[in-house]
Amino acid sequence: MPVISLESYLLVGMMLFAFGMFGIITRKNAISVLLGFELVMNAAGLNFAAFSHFTDKTIHGQVFTLFIIALAAAESVVILALIIAVYQKMNTIQIDEIDSLKG
Amino acid sequence: MELKEIIFFILATATVLSGWLVVSLKNIIHSAFALLITFFGVGGLFVYLSADFLAATQILIYVGGVMILVLFAIMLSEKVYNVSIFHASKILPGLLVLGGVQVVLLRVMIESPWRIRAGADSVMRPTTEILGGLLLNEYLLPFEVISVLLLAALIGAVVLIRKEVKRRREGACL
Amino acid sequence: MTLSMPPIPNLHAIAPEIIVLLTSLLVLLIDLIQLRGKKGGLAFLGAAGLALAGIFSYKLLQHPLATDIPGFAVDAYAQFFKIIFCLAGLMVIGISVRYLTLEGFSLGEYYSIILLAILGQMIMASGTHLLVIYVGLELMAISLYILAGFFKHHPKSNEAAVKYFLLGSFSSGIFLYGIMMAYGLTGSLDLSVIAGKVAGAELTGLLLLAVIMMGAGFAFKIAAVPFHFWTPDVYEGSPTSVTAFMSVGPKAAAFAALIRVFSSAFGTLRVEWTTLFICLSIATMVTGNLVALRQTNIKRMLAYSSIAHAGYLMVGFVAGGELGISSMLLYLRIYAFMNIGAFGVVILLNRVGGIGDRIDDFAGLSKVSRASAFVMLVFMLSLAGIPPTAGFAGKFYIFMAAVKNGYVWLAVIGVLNSAVSAYYYLRVIMRMYMVEPGDEPVLNVSTALSAILLIAVVGIIAIGIFPGFCLDLARTSVTSIL
Repeated sequence: MPVISLESYLLVGMMLFAFGMFGIITRKNAISVLLGFELVMNAAGLNFAAFSHFTDKTIHGQVFTLFIIALAAAESVVILALIIAVYQKMNTIQIDEIDSLKG
Repeated sequence: MELKEIIFFILATATVLSGWLVVSLKNIIHSAFALLITFFGVGGLFVYLSADFLAATQILIYVGGVMILVLFAIMLSEKVYNVSIFHASKILPGLLVLGGVQVVLLRVMIESPWRIRAGADSVMRPTTEILGGLLLNEYLLPFEVISVLLLAALIGAVVLIRKEVKRRREGACL
Repeated sequence: MTLSMPPIPNLHAIAPEIIVLLTSLLVLLIDLIQLRGKKGGLAFLGAAGLALAGIFSYKLLQHPLATDIPGFAVDAYAQFFKIIFCLAGLMVIGISVRYLTLEGFSLGEYYSIILLAILGQMIMASGTHLLVIYVGLELMAISLYILAGFFKHHPKSNEAAVKYFLLGSFSSGIFLYGIMMAYGLTGSLDLSVIAGKVAGAELTGLLLLAVIMMGAGFAFKIAAVPFHFWTPDVYEGSPTSVTAFMSVGPKAAAFAALIRVFSSAFGTLRVEWTTLFICLSIATMVTGNLVALRQTNIKRMLAYSSIAHAGYLMVGFVAGGELGISSMLLYLRIYAFMNIGAFGVVILLNRVGGIGDRIDDFAGLSKVSRASAFVMLVFMLSLAGIPPTAGFAGKFYIFMAAVKNGYVWLAVIGVLNSAVSAYYYLRVIMRMYMVEPGDEPVLNVSTALSAILLIAVVGIIAIGIFPGFCLDLARTSVTSIL
């Protein structure tokens, strides 16, 4: 198998995706969760570009990656604003400490 | 191995390793910097996919924009040397998901017979012009929608952060 | 490559979307000009915009236009959903006005963001290209994160927003990965092209995984068990008006996209995904109803009830065909009336700081205000599915469709669940009529809120007695995609 193949890209994307999901599940800190989310978005973007390059004649996959980058940026802005608003109010961004709703 | 392949290998390895560091390091500043390396690594991989515009965007948006924002948010909100940042009870399910995802995707994606386009590797063309054409023709609608989405994010961030709301609220309560 | 001026698409076809967007921007601008003062005018403007968009959608429903916008269908099916979104949005704006002033968050941006969320839902309903659907979904999701955390000085609202984001990002990642696999497999993102490729290909693990991951992404948005963890906390913590919005609009939008994607792109895999949705549907109905039984907070109870309703809706989806899907559409329309109405009554009882959220706060409501107790009675009976309310008609058609298409046992499970659900709805009614009032409840009556409650009650009773008109509309809509 050649080093630069679709499979190697998929492997990298898959690792990033799995790590990102691991981060989203296990992290306590809201910003760390956001970092995990960025990994997931990057993984998907990388895979789209790889498919676009290796299997598709057109570059429609790259367009999708472009949208993913823009979306991830927009989403981070909102989330970080939210995190700071939470911090101003509760003085913490630890998710387990932000836990009054139960039932 | 050719030089090209060696560089690719280094890039890919750095991306994956730093990706792991992002979710495993205890200091949040360190994991943010690990994410920086991941962003650069993915940007480098984009170059290998003849996606020059994407590589540039990746660096500009993620490294220049998102990363700075994240660092600011960390400094504004968190005691930087916070050590306990894992849910102790969720590490096991997290590892299960990690393992499960790896096994399933490895089986399904890597072993799947992809229809590789012949000569995919040979030419590297600039893509900016084609992307621009696609965005303004076929993808005009999502392009417009995402501009609205950015507007929504902008409004939202301002609404959530600004202070004057509080004053108004006290006024309303009186 | 030569660049040419792209042809200007037929703007009439996307008139509802344009109207909603322009209204949103207008609200934002006017809010800037009039810094102080009441925001009632803005709410009225937003509601008027939605009403206009709804009328345009209705016109387009009757005379569907061919459109040259790629990845965007202007068929009757999409228009039916757009009417639901506009109606739901209008009602939510109506119940918000006084509530926001009381809680001290009366801001023009609120209406603007609600309109943008509705725009996202409309795009989802019309999208025939996975990128369009995904972008619409994200527009809706981002707006909802903001709305959930809108009461930023209430710890509960903060918590709801953070939790919604956590689960939202998780589901969005899974959905995105599903799209990515479908793209890798078929080389296209257009639903019809994907359908062609999928029909020709044999069933591989990859294809199945793509279907499951996309299904899971949608299941998060419709709050189906086991993807429902976020629902109760987010519904309880968010501002009540936002909860009302979240329980209807996004759910309907996710169903709209789900039906379109699964019945067109993965139509040939019907056997496989039907099994998947049967399991989801049963788990959702049972869990939703059983957990709702022991809730003491009305918002939490309605959250679990909305989970259960997603289960009933999925019964219609499993039944499929013109009957199943049209009964789903009808039910979603009715659900918009009764659920937003119920939250409207919760707002009526709301006192600053989350009091009025307990079911006990409804004690003796009939003694304090006969009208509001009657209104709540109608909503509860309708949610429980008791004739002559619309909720009965809706459930009846869904279970009939299931029986006719050979899922008798699924319909039986649905009916049994519906019977269980009657218990917790009746409990609210009991509190209102049988128990003496504790401390005197204060009602936040306002013209807008009363008008919306009146519309909802009239809508429920009218559809309950004459379901034919709406059902015909739903049937014509469904034929455009089957």
